[in-house]
Amino acid sequence: MTDIAEQEVIDIADMDVEAFNEFATEQGWSDGMPLFVPTEAKVAKFVDTVRGDNRPYSPVPPRQIVPTIQAMAANAVMAGCKPEYFPVVTAALRSVLEPDFNLHGTLATTHSCAPMVMISGPIRKELNVNCGSNCFGQGWQANATIGRALGLMLLNIAGAKPGEMDRSTQGNPAKFTFCFGENEEENPWTPYHVQRGFKPTDNVVTVMSGEGPHNLNDHGSTTGDGLLTTFAGGMATPGANTVYGKGPSFIIIGPEHAATLKRDGFTIETIREELWQRSRIHISRVSKGNLDTYASTGHKPDGDYLRIGRTPQDLHITVAGGPGKHSAFIPSFGGTMVACTRIQ
Amino acid sequence: MRIVNPTFGLSAAAGETVALKPINWATDAIALMSNSKPNARELLEGVRAKLSAFRNVDNIVYHSKNSASQAAPKDQIEKVAANFRGALLALGD
Amino acid sequence: MIATETFKPLILAQAKARKIEPRLIVVKHPVGGLNAEELRERIEAATKGLTEATKK
Repeated sequence: MTDIAEQEVIDIADMDVEAFNEFATEQGWSDGMPLFVPTEAKVAKFVDTVRGDNRPYSPVPPRQIVPTIQAMAANAVMAGCKPEYFPVVTAALRSVLEPDFNLHGTLATTHSCAPMVMISGPIRKELNVNCGSNCFGQGWQANATIGRALGLMLLNIAGAKPGEMDRSTQGNPAKFTFCFGENEEENPWTPYHVQRGFKPTDNVVTVMSGEGPHNLNDHGSTTGDGLLTTFAGGMATPGANTVYGKGPSFIIIGPEHAATLKRDGFTIETIREELWQRSRIHISRVSKGNLDTYASTGHKPDGDYLRIGRTPQDLHITVAGGPGKHSAFIPSFGGTMVACTRIQ
Repeated sequence: MRIVNPTFGLSAAAGETVALKPINWATDAIALMSNSKPNARELLEGVRAKLSAFRNVDNIVYHSKNSASQAAPKDQIEKVAANFRGALLALGD
Repeated sequence: MIATETFKPLILAQAKARKIEPRLIVVKHPVGGLNAEELRERIEAATKGLTEATKK
């Protein structure tokens, strides 16, 4: 891949999709999966969906270039998006460009983090975003391609080439795509975007640089209190970056677990407080070398325990998924924030 | 056929390469800047100890970020730039 | 800048984006996870690299 591409539009020989994919792979544009051809005509259809949104984009680290809408759209086309997904994709890019998201750090790190993209609001239905069964998995074009488009933009615009600028030790399947919708319909509390101050009718993208979902399986508990014991046990993991106590994490509660917690009188606030108290990591589970390292950067045990965030507000809670007794914990990269952007 | 280049963008950096100021490594004040990963401090302190055989090391001072995963704060960078002629950075990965 | 050989491409790519030409001292990878005995070799290499680089 060249450092700063000289031309926005490139004339290449006519070729079929297979030949284009070979060409794109040679250029370093591919995530390894087949790409669609970003013809001028196709890109123009995507650009049309964001006309009127003239807010500038800040330079994208680590490569430090200011993207053009056409280049962003080319990545969305290559990812297999429909044109109507593009405003979600651009909102996701704006979110990761929030300074406290620390895009540079999240892309250059050896950690396995990938940008989690969560979609809230009525647009979930309009775009057929999966918020229910298998919401983190395969089978839905919107989920698959919106997350992939962001990943391709980070490769091609940000320059996060694996092994070069992207230094992840092992990577993470979520780097291909990690996009889902909130299950607002089965959320007995307040949807996440409303918790963040948006209107219920707003369409919002939320991003966090996180690991893949850690499953929280609990078929046996019949009380909310029992579920929280399981959740907290799963969250108190010394191998996740949350052990540094410096960043956010998400708890995505499955609808059946949410119903039990609601029945037993728990609210988002009381769940957060309980999990904050119970998800501490006992120092006996952390090596001396690690404790010394954490202490050297200001993260000392609170008594005999390490906290997995700075305050209870670092625990972000919502509902997604379908039937079944599973929830998920998504620990973040650590030195990052949860960023929300309203879709224009 | 005509395609849109997915890597295209406008460079945010200035057009010219940033030139480094000259430094006398035998005498000038030097900041040792760690990326706060394990062993980065030990590496820099080890180099400092070795340098003591050749030069005064009282003006070679250790600094670190408060997070390995985040950039050094701007005021820390400005303070180091104001007080030291050179900086030796270590990436302890 | 002292960096391991493994991270040299990252540093060069980032420096290029910022139009900076770093003076790089490359040591063997890794640095993290080494005990004091193992780290001694990296300190020797870094000091040698610094001495040579600063003679120029």
